[in-house]
Amino acid sequence: MSQDKRFSDEFLNAFVDNQIAAEEKSQAFIEIGQDEALNRQVCELRKLHDLVQLAYREPPAPPARATSDPTSRHARLRFGVAASVLLTLGIVLGSQIRMPAPSVTAVPAAATQKVANIAPPAKSEAKADIANHVATLQSVAAIPAAATAAAAPVVARNKIPDNTTSKVLIHLARDDADQLSQALDEIEGLLKHYRETRHGARVEVVVNGKGLELVRSDTSVFAGRIQRLQREYDNLTFAACQNTIDRLAREQKIIVRLLPGVITIDSGMAEIMRRQNQGWTYLQV
Amino acid sequence: MDFLDFFHMRSREAQHALEQARVRLYRVAYAWCHNAALADDLVQETLAKALRKSAQLRDPKARDAWLFTILANCYRDHFRKTREMDDIDEIEISHETTPESESSRTEIVGLVRATIARLPQAQRQVVTLVDLEGFSYVEVSQILEVPIGTVMSRLCRARNAMKAMLLPAMQQNPDMHRVIRRIK
Repeated sequence: MSQDKRFSDEFLNAFVDNQIAAEEKSQAFIEIGQDEALNRQVCELRKLHDLVQLAYREPPAPPARATSDPTSRHARLRFGVAASVLLTLGIVLGSQIRMPAPSVTAVPAAATQKVANIAPPAKSEAKADIANHVATLQSVAAIPAAATAAAAPVVARNKIPDNTTSKVLIHLARDDADQLSQALDEIEGLLKHYRETRHGARVEVVVNGKGLELVRSDTSVFAGRIQRLQREYDNLTFAACQNTIDRLAREQKIIVRLLPGVITIDSGMAEIMRRQNQGWTYLQV
Repeated sequence: MDFLDFFHMRSREAQHALEQARVRLYRVAYAWCHNAALADDLVQETLAKALRKSAQLRDPKARDAWLFTILANCYRDHFRKTREMDDIDEIEISHETTPESESSRTEIVGLVRATIARLPQAQRQVVTLVDLEGFSYVEVSQILEVPIGTVMSRLCRARNAMKAMLLPAMQQNPDMHRVIRRIK
């Protein structure tokens, strides 16, 4: 088979989609790896594949049907219970706030005297009490908002005031121990450089796919090193892709346990896009 | 597991499996038509037909491909009813005026959806079955009832077209792919 035919567009697509025999694929791996143009084509095809998955990860919800779907019944029930609890809390707390008011306004003199004889609360204490109630109420009122913000961790992190000058996202998607070791060397070197030059920086390591093994407590061969890096550099974050964690649970029945300090993000790909839109430098290892 | 059990079993696993199948069917149906109501109708019709024809499923392992075959048939039937004079393989049912593209042109998700919406129908089906569901080329050829060579050529043309449409659009908005470097 000639070189041209061997690496036709159809062949490269089949290579990316893992549709060719293992022996042929390993040979193609070597040849593609040596050719920069082919390598770029393969990267572009993989990127397209990831983009398609990202685009339909959360399609718009279908319009509601007028059927007795048990799941929607349960959802409605849960919503009703939650709403009732919130309403009750609101009434109880609201009534407690209103209670001190009569003692300082239109209360009959005798009643005022009686209350005063029992235990007149200090004015400052009453104020503090109300302030506490108001704070409680505000937190209660914030509950629904927090509950509806499904992507709260991501949104919250994105809103952190950012006075740093350099923001670097490092993407790890492979489980090759040598490459991961090299990547940790690069990360440590980068952080050390920023510290020595007193240059403000944030470094975020996003792991997905096979790269997740780096931060799994049961598989990581670099657990100690990662924890040391996290202790030494507070501007370093390790973020694991929730999609990958869910996929492992679904397909391989693996319950992933992450190393301490590793946060989860909704999707590695989405995080990369978000960070790039925010002006982060993207490095793939 | 017999497919009938899939519907009749009361166990939590069976309900979970059914819900998963529904979610996956809906995602692909939406990627084909970019219309939430139509996609939902197609999935309902698919599951209803699957229930009626459950005896036809001999190999439970082929359940996924079988369900998507029914979905593809429902989709084809829908357009036969509504656009009898058009070639189903060539029509473009969506254009750049889709709501996604109007409201979130600069966002990557909207951009990719709009790009896929502009692909010819047959190419869109192949690329979404391969990329979203991870079906092999053989399975896609069975689902769409076309030769495997056709699957490969449609996929190839779809991805070339996506590359041609997406890359210039991303270059117009440099924020979408800022500094991208690779270290080895």
